[in-house]
Amino acid sequence: MKGGSIFVRGRLLPLFVWIFGLLLIWEGTSWMLLHVVETPLAQSKLPYVHEVLSTLWKYSGTLLKEGAATFGNAGVGFLIGAVAGASLAVLMSLSKTIEQLTFPYAIASQMIPILGLAPIIYGIVRDEQTSRIIISGYITFFPVALNMLRGLRSVDPSALELMHSYAAKPWAVYWKLRFPAALPGLFGGLKIAAPLAVTGAILVELMGAQHGIGVIMLRNLYYGSSHTYMFWSTVIVGALLGIVSYWLISLIERLVAPWQPEFRPKGGSR
Amino acid sequence: METNSVREASFIGSSGKDMAQPALTATQKNAVAVPKPAEATASRGGSRMLKRIFSPGVLLPVLAGVLFLGLWEFEFFHKIFDLKKYQLPLPTAIATTMRDNFSMLLSYTGYTLTEAVLGMLVGSAIGFLIALAATAWPRWGSGSLTLVAALNAVPIVALAPIMNLWFGDGIGSRIAIVTATTMAAMAINAYKGMAAIDPLALDLMHSYAAGKPAVFRYLRIQSSLPYVFTALKINATASMIGAIVGEFFFSSKGLGYLLSNSIKVAKMPLGWSCIVLAAIAGVLFYLVVERLEKVFIKWHPSQRK
Repeated sequence: MKGGSIFVRGRLLPLFVWIFGLLLIWEGTSWMLLHVVETPLAQSKLPYVHEVLSTLWKYSGTLLKEGAATFGNAGVGFLIGAVAGASLAVLMSLSKTIEQLTFPYAIASQMIPILGLAPIIYGIVRDEQTSRIIISGYITFFPVALNMLRGLRSVDPSALELMHSYAAKPWAVYWKLRFPAALPGLFGGLKIAAPLAVTGAILVELMGAQHGIGVIMLRNLYYGSSHTYMFWSTVIVGALLGIVSYWLISLIERLVAPWQPEFRPKGGSR
Repeated sequence: METNSVREASFIGSSGKDMAQPALTATQKNAVAVPKPAEATASRGGSRMLKRIFSPGVLLPVLAGVLFLGLWEFEFFHKIFDLKKYQLPLPTAIATTMRDNFSMLLSYTGYTLTEAVLGMLVGSAIGFLIALAATAWPRWGSGSLTLVAALNAVPIVALAPIMNLWFGDGIGSRIAIVTATTMAAMAINAYKGMAAIDPLALDLMHSYAAGKPAVFRYLRIQSSLPYVFTALKINATASMIGAIVGEFFFSSKGLGYLLSNSIKVAKMPLGWSCIVLAAIAGVLFYLVVERLEKVFIKWHPSQRK
């Protein structure tokens, strides 16, 4: 018990000091820009923290609604992409031909600036809902497939031999051995993909949609300096969406695959 | 090699994990038969090269690519998805547009690549410094690492307007965006590398009465290098994305600007040629970083043949 509380204090206290310190510096710099240096558009460049927070509070209903629209679309695309990616990984692990066919393209797609495709897909589909889902799904697809494949391959050979000696059916090998072994890899891929899927959804919204956090972000940017607090609130909501998506996947990982070394209280390698 | 990119992908997301990765990869590389791209084998002998080219690992994907382009060219996809030619231009139309606008496209690619490279260098340097600080003063430094990891989850598009306000609409704002997006991967990976030192080596340093600077100079920085290069490879791709997305909204030059602009005025072939060039530039940038990795960490087990 005592060790736990020291652990918490040792980790969390510096973090809180960091956050509060940064917020203080932010507030101070904002004051400096406005009153001492008197730069033009000072509040647009770095608004007061308390003003942004109060705007965030005042318009929390709208922000929550638009944020939920973005998050929902990104989530649907993310799920579709994840399922498709995981299925491709299973197919690749089953068939050498499919692997040879798709592996180079999966690798190449990791080197290509995928988000650049967003305007093109929006141009083809011309429907905000569908294109948000397509982009999020596409971004999710390859990281999930590659990491899942790595996980499926990481099976301990002697465990595989044991399954063979029990005359286990292929589906039993997959269900009992390969899928559990692939879970860490799968979640690694999902954690990469989740914030990217949100980014993709917001990007499509900035291209011209009707609903979503990106739409009010763009609107308030164009209204100019009178809406600067609202604009900063949308930026913060967008950032929070990305962080929440990552955090959500990590939480699910802890629930689904709790046996991994890094979840142990002392850490596996130290 | 191909396996590197599979392995690296998992590095982005998992913050502060995967300590045993580089040791694993050496065995993985032997276990996974990886199809190599044709250009990688060009330096080998002639007959072996022919054999490689006609092996299924190369032949299959090439055939699939040609088939895909063929179906596209003969309007197969247009029929299935009920698309018009102005929505999805044909490959030949894209190639013609690329030839017609070659000099402009080339200069824009150079501009975007400059942003990406400069931003990546600045971002990676800052990330490495953060990792150094976090390792040197673990109690207070690790908080900064958490904040940087949170920055990693922030969508790039949210950064773009702010950086534009701070740095104007010149090249500076895109460099700042790329810096912000590449910092986190480097900080997290370099920190992992500096922590993943051999305890025996650390004991040896202590028995020599080596001070903190000496431990960093001779041990930690050396052992972080493989992780640093993994981060650089992640950043090579991320920086291209950051530069292009940054150009979408506030720019008058560059591939991202041309891309979003030509979509707006329905010049689809021009938009597609931007994508093709961005993809080529991204792959080249990645390959250059990979080549540098081979030169700098020859000694590491993951690089042995």
